[in-house]
Amino acid sequence: MKLGDLEINPSKIICVGTNYMDHIEETKLEIPKEPVLFPKTLNCLITENQPIIYPKMLYENPKMNRVDYEVELAFIISKTCKNVKVQNAYENILGYTVFNDITARKMQIKDIFSKLPWFRSKSFDTFGPIGPRIVGVDEIKDPHDLNLELRVNGEVKQKSNTKYLLFKIPELIEYITRFFTLVPGDIVATGTPSGIGPIKPGDLIDATIEKIGTLSNKVILEGENENN
Amino acid sequence: MKIIKIGNTEINPTKIICLGRNYLDHIQETNAPIPKEPVFFAKTMNTLITNNNPIIYPKVLYDDEEKRSVDHEVELAFVISKTCKNVKAQNAEEYIQGYTIFLDMTARSMQKTDRKINLPWYRSKNFDTFGPIGPKIIPPEEIGDPHDLTIELSVNGSIKQSSNTKHLIFRIPEIIDYISKYVTLEKGDIVATGTPGGISPILPGDVIEASIEKIGAIRHEVILEDIINK
Repeated sequence: MKLGDLEINPSKIICVGTNYMDHIEETKLEIPKEPVLFPKTLNCLITENQPIIYPKMLYENPKMNRVDYEVELAFIISKTCKNVKVQNAYENILGYTVFNDITARKMQIKDIFSKLPWFRSKSFDTFGPIGPRIVGVDEIKDPHDLNLELRVNGEVKQKSNTKYLLFKIPELIEYITRFFTLVPGDIVATGTPSGIGPIKPGDLIDATIEKIGTLSNKVILEGENENN
Repeated sequence: MKIIKIGNTEINPTKIICLGRNYLDHIQETNAPIPKEPVFFAKTMNTLITNNNPIIYPKVLYDDEEKRSVDHEVELAFVISKTCKNVKAQNAEEYIQGYTIFLDMTARSMQKTDRKINLPWYRSKNFDTFGPIGPKIIPPEEIGDPHDLTIELSVNGSIKQSSNTKHLIFRIPEIIDYISKYVTLEKGDIVATGTPGGISPILPGDVIEASIEKIGAIRHEVILEDIINK
């Protein structure tokens, strides 16, 4: 897939949950002792200006009908790596981009409550907008001092700064690569700040991170205007 | 994306979807509730290895006695033949390229701890080499009925899992119907249908052999991760 001028060929998307203190407080989750990881599958990925498809099965079921935005700073892996140490972490990063971890919230809460996997609620088609471009590590000296913001129809809903990340990027790479090999193109999303809320068909979602840019996606109901 | 060769067939999977809790005897042995709809989760591509390659026992698990618990789970898997979404059960077979054996290796005590505190089923399922697959992909016409195959796994020659795919709770057409309501399946994607009872821990030095009738057998030695040589 092409993000700005760069083509990447990811084999996986790893997301970090509960990684901003303000988001942890609003969801009443416990402060994690180590990073909480979950995958999204590649069918989630869309880029700038492609529509987020609101699944009909959620829209038509009042018990499930809630889909949330989650703006996140993501980084892209530049080389195959395993057991990376914190001090060498940045050598393995190609650059940074904006990721929107779209989540079927009621379904997620129901599944968590039933001790089921966090999969279906996170991995509907188009539930992972990414872009608009990848900014190289050389251009972003400190990824832990970037303003991030998400707007729905122009109204600011999430506003924070990556300095509030609980687990910082080098720690995340060290932790993840203790478990898994990362390969070039793999995407790691670092978690979302507070202010999560619902989207609905017709909404325009703008996710902005300082020095990277704005990722814009319109929400459409599944089966309607899919060719736009 | 990663091209892997299973027997003579090259596939290029974009995802691996696994069913949990799909054999009654396995549900009972893990004290899990019987699901009303299929329970599914993802494994990532770093887990895939083919026949005769070693399963690497992670040092991070081996060195911690509470986490030193990795289980085998033999499963019938199928490979998707073309892109599909919202497939109806009666058309499901059109989207199957063939069948193979999959081992859903699982760090059991880590999975239990994570579930207890409402964390995702991810890290316990996705260590490198935790998804052996093979030895070949057998097309549907050679299998006939995929819900009548004996399935077996042995460790060091002693049989641990022995069942038949007729005991699957959710059958393959229902599985495709259900999963493709959520996610688009792509050519090469792997779906593993769940494991029967008899799961047990493995250790470095063990040899695992898994077989499914009409498909064949895979064999994997378990070795301890050697971090120094990385």
